[in-house]
Amino acid sequence: MARREYPHEEGPLEIFRTEERDFPNEEAPLELLDGREGEELGAADREFPDKDGPRNEAPGTASLEAAVSESGWSEKDGYRIKLDIFEGPLDLLLFLIKKKKIEIQNIPLALITREYLDYLHEREHINLDREAEFLLMAALLIYIKSQFLLPREQPIEPDIDPRKERPDRTGDYERVRVVSAVLRDKEEEQSTIWRRTALNAPLPEQDLDLVEVSLFDLAESFFAMMKRKQSAPQKIIKVKEISVADKTKEIILALQTKGYLDFLEYLDAQETLEEALVAFFCLLELIKARRVMAVQEQLFNTIKVWLRKEPAGEDA
Amino acid sequence: MDNLKNILEALIFISVEPLTLDKMKEVLDVSSEEEILQALLHLGTEMEESPRAIRLVQTGGGWVFMTKSTFDAPVRKLLQIERRKKLSPAALEALSAVAYHQPVTQIDIMTIRGVDSTHSLHTLLENKLIKISGRKDAPGRPLLYKTTEKFLTYFGLNSLEDLPREEELKKILEEGNT
Repeated sequence: MARREYPHEEGPLEIFRTEERDFPNEEAPLELLDGREGEELGAADREFPDKDGPRNEAPGTASLEAAVSESGWSEKDGYRIKLDIFEGPLDLLLFLIKKKKIEIQNIPLALITREYLDYLHEREHINLDREAEFLLMAALLIYIKSQFLLPREQPIEPDIDPRKERPDRTGDYERVRVVSAVLRDKEEEQSTIWRRTALNAPLPEQDLDLVEVSLFDLAESFFAMMKRKQSAPQKIIKVKEISVADKTKEIILALQTKGYLDFLEYLDAQETLEEALVAFFCLLELIKARRVMAVQEQLFNTIKVWLRKEPAGEDA
Repeated sequence: MDNLKNILEALIFISVEPLTLDKMKEVLDVSSEEEILQALLHLGTEMEESPRAIRLVQTGGGWVFMTKSTFDAPVRKLLQIERRKKLSPAALEALSAVAYHQPVTQIDIMTIRGVDSTHSLHTLLENKLIKISGRKDAPGRPLLYKTTEKFLTYFGLNSLEDLPREEELKKILEEGNT
């Protein structure tokens, strides 16, 4: 696989040999071997700094020791990965990748996943919290790697580097909290003043400015009805072929004679569940084609379906 | 002028939803926007100054008559409403997030709040304070949410512009920290 150039590469990958380590956390063995020993490496063309040579101390390449202590990483008795180039818990691996200490391309994720699953199978008890954490991190790693494997027309821009953490949204949350408080005050204020409700308002037959309902409203009433229907005992089972075309014709005919249909009433009157489903589907199609219009006069009122005045130039 | 004011009073009285300026113009076909606004202002102050129980309120993009808060108790008794239900803190937070970031996905709201907001969003949808406005052109095509007209009237806002702006929020935040 050809190496790609990434603008965020700050320099040659630093590889540390085990004997170089001087971890603040002694009981935390960390194996970070020369990347060249890995199996699926494309990094053979890289030059690694001599371990005794002057080390590049540019900001992005701070020493691994510092990186590890910064990570707050400590020994947990969780699952540990063993790879040729890395040995340790997954969170440390993720951390090092984010710090650009390890190239994601060098990490065989399929292998990690397979071994991890084997490990899970062997265990009798699992700690759900810890395993969920593992899943999250593994998913992140897979995401990061996939971003690097996909061919790109343009190099990855530094600010959308998948290895970077998502931007900090705590500022947003602070703002949301303040807005919540403001809205709460307004809610309080509004709760003592009233305006007329249309409890008794007469409904003109036509040309009224009704609110068109959303798909959400339709689906909501439909599924509420389906639930009711399901619990009702079904006595007769009929086999009846219902085609969408026939049902559509039936609906339009009913609309032409009656003017409107009560959405729920109509679906409820269908003989079988299947027929109701087909009818629902037809109605959705008709709404989409703008041949009918679903409106609700009042909140919590029934939804009515009206034929639109000018059908979209089709035969009824 | 007085005539226009009276016509407007009649129109607003008969409207259940806030009556918009556009609607007024449509009905009054001759009047200029300026003239209508002037008449509304007159009507509003006149009602405010009189000992009447009703006041003219601009909310949800239009004008509507509302009772003064002094009459909360008897009105509730008539409507047989014990107490107005209030939004839960979680729902309110989710709603604030939608209001400021709309159109917004569930994941965005979760990222902002740091907790799962499925239930809150569902409550808000049921209460028609938010609605689905489409799908985001992104992997998985997640649904996008935005606030509704009812959101405005519920909080007595005339438009989204009435929400506190960035600078005001900063000020409130700073005050809170000191």
